[in-house]
Parts: sequence; C-alpha cells; structure tokens
Amino acid sequence: MSLNMFEGFKFKRKDTLLHRMDPRPKFLIALTIFLLSLIYVNVLVLLILLTVQVPLVYASKSMRRWFGSMRGGTILAAMIFFMNFLTGSTLVFSATMTLRFLVLVSAFSIFFMTTSPDDLGLALERIGLPYTLSFTFTTSVRLVPTIAIEAQTIVDAQRSRGLELDRGSVIERVRKYIPILIPLIVSAIRRSTELAEALESRGFGAVKHREPLATLRMKRSDWAAAITTTLVLVAGVYVQNTMPIPSFDTGIRIPLPWGP
Amino acid sequence: MIEAHNLSFTYAGSKRPAILDVNLGVDKGEFVVLTGPSGCGKTTFARCLNGLIPNFYQGELSGSITIMGTDISGHTTSELSRKVGFVFQNPENQLFSLSIERDVAFGPENLGLPKEETRRRVDWAMEITGISELREAAPYELSGGQQQRAAIAAVLAMKPEIMVLDEPTSFLDPLSASQILEAVADLREEANMTIVLIEHRLDLASKYASRIVVMDQGRVVLDGPPAKVYGEEAKLIGVGIPKISMLFNLLRQDGFDMGETPVSVEEATERLRSYLKDDRG
Repeated sequence: MSLNMFEGFKFKRKDTLLHRMDPRPKFLIALTIFLLSLIYVNVLVLLILLTVQVPLVYASKSMRRWFGSMRGGTILAAMIFFMNFLTGSTLVFSATMTLRFLVLVSAFSIFFMTTSPDDLGLALERIGLPYTLSFTFTTSVRLVPTIAIEAQTIVDAQRSRGLELDRGSVIERVRKYIPILIPLIVSAIRRSTELAEALESRGFGAVKHREPLATLRMKRSDWAAAITTTLVLVAGVYVQNTMPIPSFDTGIRIPLPWGP
Repeated sequence: MIEAHNLSFTYAGSKRPAILDVNLGVDKGEFVVLTGPSGCGKTTFARCLNGLIPNFYQGELSGSITIMGTDISGHTTSELSRKVGFVFQNPENQLFSLSIERDVAFGPENLGLPKEETRRRVDWAMEITGISELREAAPYELSGGQQQRAAIAAVLAMKPEIMVLDEPTSFLDPLSASQILEAVADLREEANMTIVLIEHRLDLASKYASRIVVMDQGRVVLDGPPAKVYGEEAKLIGVGIPKISMLFNLLRQDGFDMGETPVSVEEATERLRSYLKDDRG
C-alpha cells in the first residue's frame, strides 16, 4: 500500500488543461476546496466538495492514480470514522469528519499529480522563498522516485539472501526492516555527497542573483481560474454565515454510559 | 592550461597519500586520457583540478595547481566552474531538474547570465551533444547514454575551457560508451576544448587521445603519446591496454616489427597491409 499511496501524489507529465495551468491558481483551487471543507461541518456540502473533484481528475487523465491515493487514504479515513463514532459522536458527524479528510487528500493529490516540482519551485521562489530553500524542496521531490527504486532493489537483494519480510510477529517484522534501512540510509548519504559535488561543479551559489531560463507567466485562463476560485470561496463563506443549511444529522450515535 | 607542481594529497583519516608529487602539464587543445588501476589516485587528481579538493574533501594538500595562469588555491569550486567543467560517473546524481532543458540551463543560470545568453548556450550545448530533441524529457525517462550526454551538455553550457570527465562511461553499455567518447572527441574539435578524461576502457578511448597518462599508487608512471605508452610493455599491470596494441607488442617480441604500436583497429589494419605489401615486394 505504502508506495501506491505516493503514486497518487507524484507528478506525471501529461498535456491537459490542469497540467498546463500555472501552479499558483492551481494551488488556490486546492486551498479553496480545503478551506471550504473546514468551514462547513455538513455532510452534504462535503460530499459535493468531493464530487466536484471527480471531473477535475478525469480532465487531468489521472483517474487510476487518484483512486490509488484515495484507497491509500482509506485506512486513515476508517480510523478517523471509528475514533469519532466510538467516542460518542453521531454517525453523520463521524462521516462528515471522514469526508473532510478524503476531500483534503483528494485536493492535494490532484495538485501534486498535475504540478511539475520544477514549476512548484519557481512558484515558491516567486512568493519570496530563498532559492536555496526552493531548490532543496524540488530536489527532494525529484529524488523520491529514485530512492523508491533503490529501496526496491535493496529489498530484492536482501530477500535473495534469505530475508523473510512477511513472516513473524509484528516486532520481528519491524526488526527485519533494519537490514533494508541501513543500506538505504548509507546509499542516500553517498548520493547526497555526489549531488553536492555536482552542484558545486555547476557553479551553484556562484552569484547572488540568478536569472532563470524558465519563468512562470499567468495566462488569461490562469487569471480566470484564480478569479473564479476566489469568487467561489467568498460565496462559500458568505452562504455559510448567512443561510441556514439543513444538517441532515439523524442523531444516531452509540449510547455511552456518560451520555452525549 | 593546467600546471600541477609537486602535488600531494592525503585524505583526512588516511595514512597513505592518495597522490604523491604529481607533476603534470597539459597544453591547450590536448586530449589527455588518465588511466591506472583502481585506487591509483586519478580521481583524486581530477578533484584537485576544480577545487573539490581541498574545498569539499578535507585532508592535507601540498604543491600547487595553476589553471590558465592563475594559482587556484583559495578559489571555490563554483568560481572555478567557469574554467573547469567536471562530468561525474553517475549521470543520475548530476541531473537536478525534471526536464533536460532546465538542467542544461542550471549552470549558466548559476553564473548569473542574462536569459538570452542562457538560452543561446543551452541550444548550442544540446546541439553539439545531440540531445536537442530531448528538451522536455525527464532524466529518468532517458537511457544511461542519453543522461550522460545531458550531463555533458549541462557542463558544456557553462563554456569552460577545460573539461574533466571522471569515468563518464562506467555506467554505460559498450555502444553508448563509444558514442559518449565520440561526443567528447567532438567537443575538442568543435568547442576547442582541452580534455582530461579518466577512463578504463582504453580500447575505446585511445584513438581519440593525444596523450596517455598512467598513474599507479599515487604517482604518474607513464606519460606520452598512445603509441609510445602502449609500446612500453613494462609497468602496465592493472591497465588494460588496447588488445590491438598488445597484439602488435607480442608480434614485435617474435620478431615482426611493424613500427609504432597502433592504438586502433583502423591503424593496425593500415600497418599490417603495408607490412605485408613490403614483405611480398
């Protein structure tokens, strides 16, 4: 499960509307969905927030991977549901909290699946993050697939030497991961040294002001997306504060000795 | 171009010096192949050329290096990157971006060049290394050979006068390896560069070299044009000299002296043909 879940947060180059969108309005969309899911404690609204994302996923041609990240999130979602329900919250409230989590996972899954870390780095620089920091960020994102492949190689190598990862008690299994982790950490350290050497040799930090070849430009469609999203957010806040929305709460809950 | 004087270096925590009293001068436009058994100090020497030693690796350094007339002691690697380009073994660890074009632009950007100049250099470097059609590709989508080409283009875009390559073919199959070496040879021709290539695959590299330097146990033990170095059969233990050169050395021992030791099959064929012709005539 572990790696499949990350699949749904990994950027894959595709040519779709969402992939071409500037990372800033795209982030605004994800953020708006998240904020709306926070201010509404309403199962219907949250269901809508989750459903409106489906066409976005479809348009970005990433349905399969999105399902992957949602499936990866189900264990945590189930935990959230039962933690709420078993401590005396109503059925509907517990479901609402669970939905909120899924909305969050989905919104950011879409964002990361369609945004190149390079562009994200540029966006971070634009909003004033120092270059060294944004570079660190993009590099770590770029290294995730490389290190995942390496981890798989180490697992295969240790298995072929007789390491049985799927046997034994929980503690034994955890202990069996030590011969995986140590070579992985050692090789990551070695890799980082090599990266640092190569960075130095490419003149990293030679001058204070660097002029990037690729720059972000807000297209007309990007502005349109940003404005529409802002309007939706404002409308959402306004409606929440002024109009009563039926709560659909049936009041079903587990009767606990100390009452609700 | 490069002038090393009594250069010695001992890595911190090691008792034995990695290189000892190395004296080596390289002229503009030379193509030097630096070789020798593993642990002979060739990588250490290369690291001294762009300041990775002593800036990046701690240890005891003595002697001096002059690059294009300036003593490089006290200069950082990123300062030296304008003069000395460095290509490493593993292409995976020297590409930083998710598109090849941005990666090639990374060096010029770091030098603070204006955007138009960066653009010009990126196009030029990708053209020479033959990767112009891979602009938007991500490094992990490419073959090892293409990745190494990209790494070379990335260094080339900084327009250094000297290019140091530390076993750039060791992660590649024989075909990609020979293509990379050919690309390096083209750099010398087209970009008028001085090349220092660390390489074990002498069968492939020798025909491009103007000079072979063999190191062993931290010292330079042989230095000269390929034909001369491969002719001296002594001291070549641990260095796989081209098989064709070896063949001619053995034939010479048996009394078939066909002149200078050839370093490529083409050369050998030529020599053999004229020898046989003389024999008949």
